[in-house]
Amino acid sequence: MSATPSGHNPANVHGPVTSPGALPEDVGSETADHHSDGGHGGLGQYLAVFVALCFLTTMSFFTYSPYWPWRDEPQVGWAFMMAVSCTKALLVVLFFMHVLWEANWKYVLTIPAAMMAIFLAIMLIPDIGLRNRMVSQERALHMARGSDLLLLEQAAAAGENADASHETGSHGH
Amino acid sequence: MNASAASLGHDSHGHHGPVLQYQPGLPLSRGKLIMWLFLSTEIMFFAALLGSYVVLRFGAAVWPKPHHVHLSEPIGAINTFVLICSSVTVVLALEAARANKKSLAKTWMLLTLLLGSLFLGIKAYEYAAKFSHGIYPSAPRGMVYERPDLYYGSAVRARLGEPVIIERMKELFTKPEGELRPEEVTGRQRLKQVRDMVNDPNQQAFDLAVVADQIMPLPAESADGHGHGGGLNDTFSWLKLPVVIPGGNMWASTYFLLTGFHAVHVIVGLIVFAILLLYELGPKRAGMIENAGLYWHFVDLVWIFLFPLLYLF
Repeated sequence: MSATPSGHNPANVHGPVTSPGALPEDVGSETADHHSDGGHGGLGQYLAVFVALCFLTTMSFFTYSPYWPWRDEPQVGWAFMMAVSCTKALLVVLFFMHVLWEANWKYVLTIPAAMMAIFLAIMLIPDIGLRNRMVSQERALHMARGSDLLLLEQAAAAGENADASHETGSHGH
Repeated sequence: MNASAASLGHDSHGHHGPVLQYQPGLPLSRGKLIMWLFLSTEIMFFAALLGSYVVLRFGAAVWPKPHHVHLSEPIGAINTFVLICSSVTVVLALEAARANKKSLAKTWMLLTLLLGSLFLGIKAYEYAAKFSHGIYPSAPRGMVYERPDLYYGSAVRARLGEPVIIERMKELFTKPEGELRPEEVTGRQRLKQVRDMVNDPNQQAFDLAVVADQIMPLPAESADGHGHGGGLNDTFSWLKLPVVIPGGNMWASTYFLLTGFHAVHVIVGLIVFAILLLYELGPKRAGMIENAGLYWHFVDLVWIFLFPLLYLF
């Protein structure tokens, strides 16, 4: 398999491609139209991405604040936060990891890995996600249930009432 | 060797053998290719962890709310901000190195290292807060019980029956009121009450819930930040009584596993940055900085998903 001269990278005729140099950018000639001013990105773009990331973090933190209108429906908040997280991840991958300017090899690496990741999570559902559909009696005896939470809340309420009625003055904050 | 060289190299007329051209399969340097391959395995590694977390969390009958396990959302948000900043600085270090601004690149790199250390410091503070509430990843030190049942009651009784605790309690109960803080005065009455309750042969399920609430109440939703309403474990730090957090054990396992693996990745990144700081960060090192940066951005990426999943869900 002796090599034939490649058509679009005459720069590295000799030696391994790992020799220092600006090879990765030079070779990705399909994306050359993005090369506006030497390097891609530039300070302005990075700062814009940074501001966007900070804004998005504030947005997902907003779901925690009392002003979030869907406090009674946590699913809305979850979907919102996942959308925000995916957007943030996309921004980091595209701009900070320079994937936006890479050649098509990026799909070879990222798409199979992402699909494996999704399948992996889905495959956990029957055995782990649905593990409490049917449990042994012994396990049912020891596992926490919603009723326990209710019991604790009632105990807390009773304790507060007792505090309020017995010793109004001494209960420091 | 010679024979093969002769058979291959008849067109090179030479004494040096053939000049073989290396043709890359992918248009990127070897280091970057390996880094990306490594990162794709890392995607699956963290996808497995995050996926199990999500599946465990939504399959659980009860899962603790963030404030039940003393998670502070603002601290998590600050940590997210710190990591995002460090991602920006490492990108700026790469740009500076490419532009041959060596000292500037070094400054950005140092800043990245400091921000990463700040992240770890905040993380350590959070871990310490968990440990101080008896939340550990596993049994020997962990004091978390799933429900206020008889097992919990007997665990409290066992702890109150330990010689050291008996000694401390005797000391506390005989102290004159003037030497105690006001919350200790009410605390010792509550402690007596708890001791009587767990030793009462006629105790009922509700009594144990009251005991659990006295020892470490689950903070209400409205509590702002660190509003633990003065449990006995908070008033007397030496007491260390077992606590009840429904779903708390599974939560602790997943929390410490996820954040622990993430923290290990942060530590590795910091070591890489420390090594890079030993070099002159010019265009020659741009490849190294780029690869380290790719890794660091990935660590940031994982945290971007960890933060809402752990702190806000």
